[in-house]
Amino acid sequence: MKLIQFTVFVLFVVVTSCTLDKTDYEAELVTETTEYIEYEEVTAIVSENYTIRIEALNGTLYKGYNEIHLKINNSQTNESLDNSEVTFLPIITDANGNKSSCPHAYNLVYNDNEGYYTGYAVFTSESDSTVHWEIYIDITDNGEVTTVNPAITIAEQNNLNLNMTAFTGNDGEHYFIALVAPQSPSVSQNDLLAGIYKYNKPTSNAGTFPDASQYSYSVVKNHTLLLDPRMPEPSMGNHSSPNNQDLTQESDGLYYGVVNYTMTGNWTLNFILKNENDDIIKGTEVSTEFTPGIEGEKGELHIDILF
Amino acid sequence: MKGITVLILLFGTFVSAQNLQMQQDSVDVQLDEIVIIAAKKKKIETEMKMAVSVDEFLASSDNISFIKRGAYAWEPLLNNMSTERSIITIDGMHVFGACTDKMDPVTSYVESNNLAEIDIQSGQAGGLNGATVAGSIDLKRKSTSFGLSKKWNAAYQTGFEFNNNQFFNLGNASYSGEKLVAEGSISYRKAENYSDGNNDEVNHSQYDKFNTSLGLAYKTSDLSALRVDAIFDKAKDVGFPALPMDLSLSRALITSVAYKQFFENGIVKVWDTKLYFNAVEHYMDDTTRPENLVHMDMPGWSTTYGMVSKINLKKEKFASEIQLNAYDNLSIAEMRMYPQDRSERTMFAFSWPWVTTQYAGLSTSNTYDISEKSQLNFGGALGVNYNYSKYVEFNRIFHPSASQEKTRFLPSLHAGYNLDINQFNLSVGGGYGHRAPSVSEGYGYYIYNSFDRYDYIGNPDLKNEVSYEVNASAGYKTKKGGILAKANYFYIQDYIIGRILSAGSPMNYQSVGVKGYTSLDNATLFNFSLNGKYTVLKDLHWKGTLTYARGLDDNKNNLPFIRPLSYQTSLHYAYQKFGFSTSLNGDYKQINYSPEYGEDQTPSYTNWNASANYTFYIDGYKTVFQVGAENILNEYYSTYADWGNIPRMGRNIFTSLKINF
Repeated sequence: MKLIQFTVFVLFVVVTSCTLDKTDYEAELVTETTEYIEYEEVTAIVSENYTIRIEALNGTLYKGYNEIHLKINNSQTNESLDNSEVTFLPIITDANGNKSSCPHAYNLVYNDNEGYYTGYAVFTSESDSTVHWEIYIDITDNGEVTTVNPAITIAEQNNLNLNMTAFTGNDGEHYFIALVAPQSPSVSQNDLLAGIYKYNKPTSNAGTFPDASQYSYSVVKNHTLLLDPRMPEPSMGNHSSPNNQDLTQESDGLYYGVVNYTMTGNWTLNFILKNENDDIIKGTEVSTEFTPGIEGEKGELHIDILF
Repeated sequence: MKGITVLILLFGTFVSAQNLQMQQDSVDVQLDEIVIIAAKKKKIETEMKMAVSVDEFLASSDNISFIKRGAYAWEPLLNNMSTERSIITIDGMHVFGACTDKMDPVTSYVESNNLAEIDIQSGQAGGLNGATVAGSIDLKRKSTSFGLSKKWNAAYQTGFEFNNNQFFNLGNASYSGEKLVAEGSISYRKAENYSDGNNDEVNHSQYDKFNTSLGLAYKTSDLSALRVDAIFDKAKDVGFPALPMDLSLSRALITSVAYKQFFENGIVKVWDTKLYFNAVEHYMDDTTRPENLVHMDMPGWSTTYGMVSKINLKKEKFASEIQLNAYDNLSIAEMRMYPQDRSERTMFAFSWPWVTTQYAGLSTSNTYDISEKSQLNFGGALGVNYNYSKYVEFNRIFHPSASQEKTRFLPSLHAGYNLDINQFNLSVGGGYGHRAPSVSEGYGYYIYNSFDRYDYIGNPDLKNEVSYEVNASAGYKTKKGGILAKANYFYIQDYIIGRILSAGSPMNYQSVGVKGYTSLDNATLFNFSLNGKYTVLKDLHWKGTLTYARGLDDNKNNLPFIRPLSYQTSLHYAYQKFGFSTSLNGDYKQINYSPEYGEDQTPSYTNWNASANYTFYIDGYKTVFQVGAENILNEYYSTYADWGNIPRMGRNIFTSLKINF
């Protein structure tokens, strides 16, 4: 009987020792891409009459698409300022002192339930020693305009799933495509959200800085973004996935589609942007051949992601 | 007297499925039966070769053929159907391989010296252990009975095969006491690359296998016994020349505890309950292939817990076995890719996304003696099969509405009638049964099949495969010989097979496209075999087998892996202490091959083999020495089921020595 006990014990030890560890898949996804869901304060500006809190995901503004919440408090009355006209204009100053902007919602919308003003900005580069960002916020309260222009820091977007691209279309216009979701994709069918914007060339001469008409951007309407995801690494031989859906615009202005990732790793989202008349604004078709050992060709219009 | 009965019963039920008739007959009859079984027990060897591997032994059965990816771990095809359609068990225990590419059939985790016999049942008659279409293969472990007059028994076998420098040592020993039985076996085989018929070395065909087993039985009362069994198997550095990768390590631990209770009176004769656990790990990688730019590891794990409880009943002309089977299996397989350095892993996916299979089934097999000459066999089963895919998102890429959980009911029925008239024997039978898709067919994700070079995708919502089967046999026996013809025909509804998916893009380096498992409306399979034997002289025996099979899909196209017309003929001559054997076996040209499923035509081949053995005594211990040669003519050939048409082994001279203590 002792022998049996001993045998059982030995067997137990053998069983519980696995030679090779299994992959902890959930943990692996989290280390590659962090998903932020909490809006936290980026900065707070205290002016004469108002306290303005700027909030974004993770309390940081990143290169690429950022949803922005503004909470404005009247410091005189200590009441929050509801339903006022608030404008938002980001300005970048480059090394040569040239000023420009980026796609953004100029007129912020007041959200009654949440008590804040919402907008977005697609920051086109990170802040560094030569590149500076600031925002101009105009608050119109009872016909009185208050302007604040805090400096902000744009951090590098480490999550390539929120990557962006800027390009000049075949029509000569300047376009921007920024990925909005998923922040943390998985090997599965993922809803792919992107914002598509264009720069509105000014029709009049610049007035006093900052003249919003010189920095006007709008959401591109009723276009289609054709999607062809592929794995570019030579070892993957231009691998792609099935059942993807091209992106079309929905009522919130964003473009919605479906991307399937068949495995983790580097992916390239090859796009073709078409306008409402089916004319190609930008993008080329890529080879669909399986070419092991050769780096996958990327289309003219693409965004690289990694998870 | 009682002791003998118990002993006999124990012996019989551990060893053979034929025990149904044994239990209530007189002791004399039982002793006769034992002699027969004892003869059967020695049969893990073929007439040609006494030191065979499990695969070689199975190959000598006329309804088994093999898919071969190298020299090791052949996949047994029963009735020309692959392992998804058959049930392979070890003493009734379900074990599932951990390799998505089926490089570790259950038969690769045992060794010939821990097996007593292999019980092969064709079609639904094999449904006792679980839902099947093709039938069942039960690998029966050795089991020493209590209170043998010779308490200690042992055997040692060693040998060398010259073609691939295979050196093997097999040893087993047993102790039989009144109350306690202990037995163990240990074996080690190591082989290098083999050479084909052109004397060219086939790279990556080496292997290295260690196997050990232990069994302990304790007699808890006159009529009951408790038994603990374990098998541990470890293979490493196993090459698969037909694949782009090799096995670096596989390990299996197969354990069970069984309690057996006998009843002296009443219709219940034996109640045998076994709890089991087995864990298999199987690590394939391609770092042995420097030509690959990217490397891929494909580790797999399979863990099974199970229970099998059966009772044998007998009353007058009626005998019955009722079995309850339940198991829970978790199958996990991963694909990890990295350009050159394993730590720089860049890509990951599950090829089996943590798939749980739970099965519970109640089955019965019955025999009714209508008369001395005729017998009716019938039985059936009802099983519930449940699958759960933890990371179902992988499956949803190709099948967006794939269900995460799936429950299936798997009924089966079979009946047969057997008639002996003088020297003639006739039998007819029929069967009906469902099977659930295998883990790969249901949940596989980019499983690379190097035969047709496609990546395979499973579909969780495949329908059950439903088989309708008829079989018949006719035999004629004289004192000097006999002839037996057997045929069966399967009509399989919703036959599961891979079809090209236009949507898919291949993932594996060498693949050319993606196939999804889909159901054909139906497929049919016909198997025929003719066996003959004749005693030419007192010591000169002839045996021959001819087999033919045909498989068609719903468009009357050929199914893949159907064996062409094949033959096996052998002569055995005994002279004093010498024995001589010679045999010819081969396949005819493959006429009905299947280009749709990636096959090309395989030409015919013939193998000529011969061996001689000499029996002598060392210190009173019986010793047999054997020397022989396979493929004497050094023919260069590959068979219809050789993956990637890899050539088979050329001329192989083998020697072995066996001592019984």
